[in-house]
Amino acid sequence: MKTVVQAALVIVVLSAIGFLLGPWQTDIYRKLLLWIALALSYNFLFGVAGQVAFSHFTFYGIGAYAIVILVTQVGMPLPLAALAGVALCVVLALAVAIPATRLDGFYLALATLALAQLFIVFLNEGGAVTGGTGGLASYRLPDIAGVTLSGPRYTVVIVLLTTLTWGVISRLDRSWFGRACRAIRDNPQAAAAMGIDVARTRVIAFTLTSVLAGIAGMVYAFVDNTVNPPIFGLENAFLLLFMVIIGGSGSQFGAVIGATVLYLLPFVLAPLIGHHHALVFGVVMLAVILVQPRGLVGLVKSRPGAGQ
Amino acid sequence: MLIRKLTAATLTAGLVLTSAAPVATAQTQGPIRIGVITDRVGPAKPYAEPVTLGAAFAAREINAKGGVLGRQIELQIEDDQGRPDISATMARKLVDAGAVMIISLSLSTATQQAQTVSLETKTPHYTPSNSGDTLTTQIANPWFWQTGPLGSTQVATLLSYARTRNLKRVALITETSGLGQMTARSFRDALQRNQIEVVAEEVVPSGATTAEPQMQKIRAANPEALFMAGVVTPENVLMLRAYRQLGLKMPILASYNMSVPVYSSVAKGLLDGIAFVDAFDPARPEARRFVEAFRKDQGSDPYNLHGYGYDGIYLVADAIRRAGSTDKEKIRDAMQSTRGFVGVMGSQGSSYGFAEGRRTGFDANGMVVRLYEQDQQGRVVHTGAR
Amino acid sequence: MQDLIEILISATAGGCIYALLALAYLVVLRPTGVINFAVGDWGTVAAFGGFLALSEAALPWPVGMAVVVIAAAGLGWLTERIAVRPLVERGAPVLAPILALLGMLVIFREAVSLGFGPDPRPIPQPFGYGRIEWGLLAASYQSVFIIAVTSAVFVGAWYFFERTLAGRSFEAVALDRRAAALMGINLARVTSCAFAAGSALAALAALLLVPNTSAHYLMGIPLAIQGFTALVIGGVGRTEGALVGGLILALVEQLTMRYVPIAPGLVQGVPLLLLIVFLLVRPTGLLAARGGSA
Repeated sequence: MKTVVQAALVIVVLSAIGFLLGPWQTDIYRKLLLWIALALSYNFLFGVAGQVAFSHFTFYGIGAYAIVILVTQVGMPLPLAALAGVALCVVLALAVAIPATRLDGFYLALATLALAQLFIVFLNEGGAVTGGTGGLASYRLPDIAGVTLSGPRYTVVIVLLTTLTWGVISRLDRSWFGRACRAIRDNPQAAAAMGIDVARTRVIAFTLTSVLAGIAGMVYAFVDNTVNPPIFGLENAFLLLFMVIIGGSGSQFGAVIGATVLYLLPFVLAPLIGHHHALVFGVVMLAVILVQPRGLVGLVKSRPGAGQ
Repeated sequence: MLIRKLTAATLTAGLVLTSAAPVATAQTQGPIRIGVITDRVGPAKPYAEPVTLGAAFAAREINAKGGVLGRQIELQIEDDQGRPDISATMARKLVDAGAVMIISLSLSTATQQAQTVSLETKTPHYTPSNSGDTLTTQIANPWFWQTGPLGSTQVATLLSYARTRNLKRVALITETSGLGQMTARSFRDALQRNQIEVVAEEVVPSGATTAEPQMQKIRAANPEALFMAGVVTPENVLMLRAYRQLGLKMPILASYNMSVPVYSSVAKGLLDGIAFVDAFDPARPEARRFVEAFRKDQGSDPYNLHGYGYDGIYLVADAIRRAGSTDKEKIRDAMQSTRGFVGVMGSQGSSYGFAEGRRTGFDANGMVVRLYEQDQQGRVVHTGAR
Repeated sequence: MQDLIEILISATAGGCIYALLALAYLVVLRPTGVINFAVGDWGTVAAFGGFLALSEAALPWPVGMAVVVIAAAGLGWLTERIAVRPLVERGAPVLAPILALLGMLVIFREAVSLGFGPDPRPIPQPFGYGRIEWGLLAASYQSVFIIAVTSAVFVGAWYFFERTLAGRSFEAVALDRRAAALMGINLARVTSCAFAAGSALAALAALLLVPNTSAHYLMGIPLAIQGFTALVIGGVGRTEGALVGGLILALVEQLTMRYVPIAPGLVQGVPLLLLIVFLLVRPTGLLAARGGSA
């Protein structure tokens, strides 16, 4: 009960912010919330389950493209399109996960890296369906039960997405499933000896987080009402990894910090130091790994009394 | 517990954002703010930087001559990192900061995503350098204009130049960048419309180490000419190298990308005889004057990319002057009614203008075909697409 | 027929570059377990070193190449000191140096981008655009040069790892770090040497490639991906794996491009599919490690 009240409070506060901000701040706020949602689910996949996968952004893209194509080209009603999009993500995630999670460590990284590149090839070659290199534009979110979701109201949708992602992930993290994932991450053999079905746990973790990314993608599709290949490219997949690492891999709070810091960093630095901001990014990244192995969240947690 | 922390963190972020909110004032005095979105770290950087430099030079020149409507122009330049989503964010930032106009110099896809903002906020939005044919057609945005020379104009000019050859069978090669693909599509469409058969269509993937398989196929198809639509330098160099290595002899007709000077150094020895379209005719009086003024100001010679940015600012200044105010609606109408605007770009006698119902403004007969001679961009051998 | 021979030689040359990059991964990976994605940007830095040495200073090719490769070895040594050693000494998990090296990758790329600007820079051809044509055999001098240099490197590497004591100590570390340390092998020195050698190899690959393309600040990532793909195909167990993997990757790429009738844009997906298939069917690569530890 307490958590429900807390969650409601968070949603109200975060939504209220959406009504206070000007257009530019709203834009940053919305995209930041989306990055946070992605970082949260990726943190579970990478930080908790220990799977180095580069396909998270690909699923974000699959979700975004799927809902646009299903609504505008197939003509599905929105809820059905969303369900179909989720189903598509599940099927694709299973297709990737069942063979790929058998792979150890960096082989999974490579297979998903290849998948991420294949996805871009597919988007570029998709003709009228994907709009090729220019992507799809000139569509808008259909009204839901007569209500037009735009402006701050759409920000509320994004707030719901991010908080729900937080809720789902923290539930998972604290359940037996989260513990199983951590056990597998730390030592797969020992986990198997403890009776954990390693392969199945890995597949479920991969599928679940990928679907969360796909749902985030569906929400993204109506932020600027355009989707195009560069958004879902490898650069962003690496950025997501950096966010989780810099924030503090394995920690949800860390994922929030990492996403916030790295997303906002260029906006703060670019006016100050121009295009050196990309170099600073690399230095920060290196410094955090060298100096604070637990990520920025470690700075907070190492203070006495600041623990959970 | 964690939820409380999440709130705290996000609240802090939110507060930071709110406190950074600029005061959006109606501009009636002080400088006229024009927003510029450029790419300083991403893939468009090699092109965006010189265009931006040309734009900044034009703004200084206009200000030195007294500005527009008695006010100075102030360029607010923002970096979108070549990322379309951030391009839209920057467009919002510029709108909030009171820019009366947004000028996009970044990737085509970034310009497209920024258009969703200009459409929504009814802010005049313009690109003097993007050349993708779909920018004004994919989104019906009456607030957006484009004067980069379109892929379709490029190929029409090349075809007009090659008309006497009576081409029937040609090959087309490009690379995998967004603009390279878009340009190839424009080329292919025009070739098909002219009943010219594309007997080989090849793509060199980004990061390739050779283009020999592609060029072998072209050699085997034995076309009468080779159209190059690529816009990424290393891949274009690979194509030229393979062309030379495999002893190909058919004439090369290249997109306007071949008009940037970097090829003279990185493709030295491979260039002679290549015909390429350019939007810049060095013999045009306006171009000569520009080159001199720029040289005096910067101590180095400008090239065509600087010209795009330079013309862009002058065209916008002209529209604001004709609008007689910085009211966005009036600027919109003035932009759309731009006719016969003479800049430094284009063939002799050509001008910019937006025909009724069109928002692409580069003169359809404004491109020239030039030849590489001794690895340098040489004389103009053809003008226009007639 | 002549086309086929021509393409085989050109693909072999391309494969040699992939193979050198794969070897650059391998010499670091074997003794340390670290996958160093910064190899591509070691290559970028070396390519611009090549621009300075061969284009600006106009040194003769052999001298310029030697200077750049030696400087690159120094860069590799420095990379290890900055981004790897502190983590190893602290006993950090192996993922930490991998991520730290990703940070180095960004630093290298941005340093080059800021130092040299965004425009590509030329590297002169060692042999101009000359070409051999003997009957059916046709190849550019550059291809022959690439193949010759790579062959020499792989013979040297094979000799080093198989026949010299120092090379065997690398192998010992690869098999069991603790046992190797007990045997008196200086782990820190082996690690330093591995990074220096990796960077030198990446530099060599880049120097052989850039006369064909040009040096530019975004060239690192494709190199890193190609080299790693080659490594996975060939297997991480043995030196020859890098060569076999590189050759297979380039042959598949170029023969598909040349002979398989599918949309040209889709051809670039073929090596990716090949990679995925390889990973699923034979994750240890074609050549398994000695001792059958597949």
